[in-house]
Amino acid sequence: MTVHTEAPAAAPAAAERPPRVPAPRRRSWTGLWFVLPFFAAYALFLIWPTFLGLYYSFTDKSLTGRTPSWIGLDNWAEALGDERAWNALGNTAVFTLYSTPPLVVLSIVFALMVNRARRAGWFLRLAIFAPYVIPVSVVTIIWTWIYQPDGGILNHYLEVLGVQSPDAPTIWLQDEHRAMWAVVITTVWWTIGFNFLLYLAALQTIPQDVYEASAIDGANWWRQLWSITLPLLKRTTALVIVLQLIASLRIFDQMYLMTSGGPNRATEVAIHYIYIAGFEGYRIGYASALSYVLFVLIMIVSIVQFRLFSRKEA
Amino acid sequence: MTAVLDKPEAPAAAPVRRRRKRPTAGAVIVYTAAIALAVVWLLPLLWALSTSLKTETEASLGQDIHWIPRDWSLEGYRTLFERGDHLVWMVNSTVVSSIVTVLTLTLCVLAAYGFSRFDFPGKKIVFAVIIAGLMVPGEALIVPLFDIVNALNLSNTYWGLALPQTVPPVMVFILKRFFDAVPRDYEEAAKIDGAGHLRVLWSVILPLSGPILAAVGIFTFIGSWNNFLWPLLVATDPSMMTLPVGLGVVTGGYGLLYAQNMAAAILGALPLLIVFLVFQKQIVKGVAGVGLK
Amino acid sequence: MPNHPPPPGPLTRRTLLAGSAAAAGLGLTGCGSLAVSLSDKTVVKQWNLLAGADGAIMTEMHGQFEAEHPDVDLQATTLGWGTPFYTRIVMGASGGNGADVATAHVSRIKSLSPATLLDPFDLKEIEDAGLDPDAFPAELWDKCFVDGELYAIPLDTHALVNYYNRSVCAEIGALNPDGTLLETTGVEDYFDVLRAAKEVTGQYGTSLDTFGGWRQFWAWYRQADGEMAFGDGDYEMDDAKALQSIEVMYRMAEEGLCPTFADGAQCAANFENGAAGFVQVGNWEITRFRAFSEAQGLDFSMTEMPDFFGNRRTQGDSHSFILPHHNSWDPEVRRATIEYVAYMLKNSLQWGAGAGHTPAYLPVTESAEYQALEPNAEYSGVVDNVQLDPEVWFSGSGARLFDEAGTVFQQVYALALNPEEALALLKERIQDLVSLPNPVD
Repeated sequence: MTVHTEAPAAAPAAAERPPRVPAPRRRSWTGLWFVLPFFAAYALFLIWPTFLGLYYSFTDKSLTGRTPSWIGLDNWAEALGDERAWNALGNTAVFTLYSTPPLVVLSIVFALMVNRARRAGWFLRLAIFAPYVIPVSVVTIIWTWIYQPDGGILNHYLEVLGVQSPDAPTIWLQDEHRAMWAVVITTVWWTIGFNFLLYLAALQTIPQDVYEASAIDGANWWRQLWSITLPLLKRTTALVIVLQLIASLRIFDQMYLMTSGGPNRATEVAIHYIYIAGFEGYRIGYASALSYVLFVLIMIVSIVQFRLFSRKEA
Repeated sequence: MTAVLDKPEAPAAAPVRRRRKRPTAGAVIVYTAAIALAVVWLLPLLWALSTSLKTETEASLGQDIHWIPRDWSLEGYRTLFERGDHLVWMVNSTVVSSIVTVLTLTLCVLAAYGFSRFDFPGKKIVFAVIIAGLMVPGEALIVPLFDIVNALNLSNTYWGLALPQTVPPVMVFILKRFFDAVPRDYEEAAKIDGAGHLRVLWSVILPLSGPILAAVGIFTFIGSWNNFLWPLLVATDPSMMTLPVGLGVVTGGYGLLYAQNMAAAILGALPLLIVFLVFQKQIVKGVAGVGLK
Repeated sequence: MPNHPPPPGPLTRRTLLAGSAAAAGLGLTGCGSLAVSLSDKTVVKQWNLLAGADGAIMTEMHGQFEAEHPDVDLQATTLGWGTPFYTRIVMGASGGNGADVATAHVSRIKSLSPATLLDPFDLKEIEDAGLDPDAFPAELWDKCFVDGELYAIPLDTHALVNYYNRSVCAEIGALNPDGTLLETTGVEDYFDVLRAAKEVTGQYGTSLDTFGGWRQFWAWYRQADGEMAFGDGDYEMDDAKALQSIEVMYRMAEEGLCPTFADGAQCAANFENGAAGFVQVGNWEITRFRAFSEAQGLDFSMTEMPDFFGNRRTQGDSHSFILPHHNSWDPEVRRATIEYVAYMLKNSLQWGAGAGHTPAYLPVTESAEYQALEPNAEYSGVVDNVQLDPEVWFSGSGARLFDEAGTVFQQVYALALNPEEALALLKERIQDLVSLPNPVD
């Protein structure tokens, strides 16, 4: 999960005073004692695995616990030539490609509507954001049932609308070409609330007089949307896209639960393949090498994000 | 975890007040469309609720789709409680998420305070190492982390589930920036009164930090409650599973039962929906804060 | 680091130190589930993969066990069949802190790396629990030993069998005077029967699980005496015989004699609601069909697989009990666990009668009571015809070969691959598996 937190203003009374020049602080060990508990846990659960994983990637370490031996670059060479790994990365990219546009466009549309319909705002916010806090397995239990070819509610309404015939029900999750779409639809339903709130917040900061001024100039709603609103949402959109990119690279839960990566590996994504290689296939060493490839990819995206969004702060 | 950081500053300009207008045709259309959309968005949950209130026989009538149960029944919920494991998972989730939240808050507050108020040898390096962690994706560490937790003999324990989730560098960063902005006058007054550092932190800084601690706490709690991948690996034992994992991987032993399944889904969704309803304001503000800088 | 003079506020530091030490101490002692620590009985954690109709029988037997052993709290959990189940067993055992006892297919014992991930049974302790180690079919019993240690105790033998709807079969004249199914020889003969059945049902001749294609493939491939052998980095398979088996699937689906898409549940439902006159599925579905028959009336029986290529061989396996590795055994738990295993075996008549499996414990199968069970007698020959999966670390029930081949055959039934394409893909998948370094031995 992505953690986003707003730091609210400090105590109002205090904030009004001009900040004092910080008193020169004495260098002492006291601060370290405060930092130490966190750092110890951090070292054990973040730094150590980072290096341990790197070490394992050069061994044939197995989940079975037999003694590992050093095998040099074998895992790395295998990973680079592993079609299944590339397929998994490809699927991850496909998921990103399918899911990002609706998650951007739809959330803008939703936010625009809710922004106009402010008096129903709490209900709309609730309805659209609620799915976001639901555990993933609840989401997949419900949607797997919705997608059921026979007796699923989705196909039922498609039949009612005359889009499909009852004799040839659409197969969703078990069809190689549709499974990814099905997962994408579920994901959009589940996670759009977050982006929606981002856009809504951004919309609400646009001062109303900008619109009023342009209305005097004779701009209609459509003109305003294109020349005022959307340009002002650019930064939010950039943020949403980067967050989406990172979230997509780490996607796993929905696929594991809904399709197990199938059919025919059409929805097998990067983390899932690491899981398959390391845990289902016992190959801790090889899975560590695969993890590192992904690690580097996520790192690159994160650095891009960091540069994009921390420059303003500097 | 993704780091989205925010400086403590006053929230953006208050929304400009709009003049009251009579509803125009456009407004009616927008309201109708928005409400229709919200209802469509709720349909999957409503459908699950409807199914959970049917008898098992009625729920499995594939071709006959109807929303209002003909034969209202709590059969699905009853069998779920008789099975009992759902309750166990709920307890586990509560225990794990609480440990994670309390520990995260404790560790991160202490660390942030240390970084904000003290100068100590090696501070820059330690801070840089923690900041670098912002870019380390937890998912890419699952394989070695699993091995470490096994080696510590912590698999299938609450600590094994919770501890690796308690080191989010982003929280240290957020809290440090907040503390940095808290003026030092109060502290100095307290120190003159002879209070130690912990005392100052506890009785001067923390009371000023209510909203941010709430935000960090709620997001940590939700994140931990909904974490799927890590508990999936560590809690192989069904009696140690958290709710998302238990619901996802344990099959009933009686084949697929739709009403019961949907009852499980509804009960699974409930705790956090309640958390969301209670803390709606903080959550919405927390998310909104990401984009408003 | 240089040793600085103590900083101001020693109280602070001491408190912090104490705090982190306490946290570390708690962390190292670990903490088990509240669910387990709240129980005042001896808790035995059993994991099984019986999500089908036989799961209900097992649950019933567990109830009886608990009634007869009030000091034991048996916490049984059913996990998703196949890979998810075995992955959890292995991950739990690698931490030495998972299940006390679990079900496992005998074909999977070696792939579970018994030396490191399983704990062996002690012959004496099972004798003490009242089991006779000599009362098992010799061949099956041998498969439970690895390097001279007993790692599994077999519960049953099960296989793919053929159920038939008596009303449909009567209508098409496929029954003997005594109401059993006429024997057929060869694929064409049987397809004629299916065509006739399709006329009557209006939908399919036979139902089958299009996701479990490996079982059907292996049955037909073995009927034709096909062999599969694995070497270091390569393997041998009889392409012609494999293709012949895949063609059976393809033609059956193409002609509409079987569904192009049916998972386990739909496969059984097709038979129950009369959409198919036959169903080729495991003997374990008998519980489900019986229940349906009682509720809504379904006149059915079961027999061995039809003879396609000169005999009635079928794919099958055995369920057994294993002890996943424990860092340490509580003697009480160990005793209760062995007691449980012995109980299940001694009472496996119910397992056979209820779930259709053929019990492995000979005192049970040799009893007059068992011999009188119907329809178990009609497919009793199945035990001799059972073909276990090829022996290699990625093979066995729910293992990778089973899964990977299954996805290929699923596309054959769906008519998305023709037999030649399917064979090529199958070979590619097997080659991939063979090329993997062996992580077990």
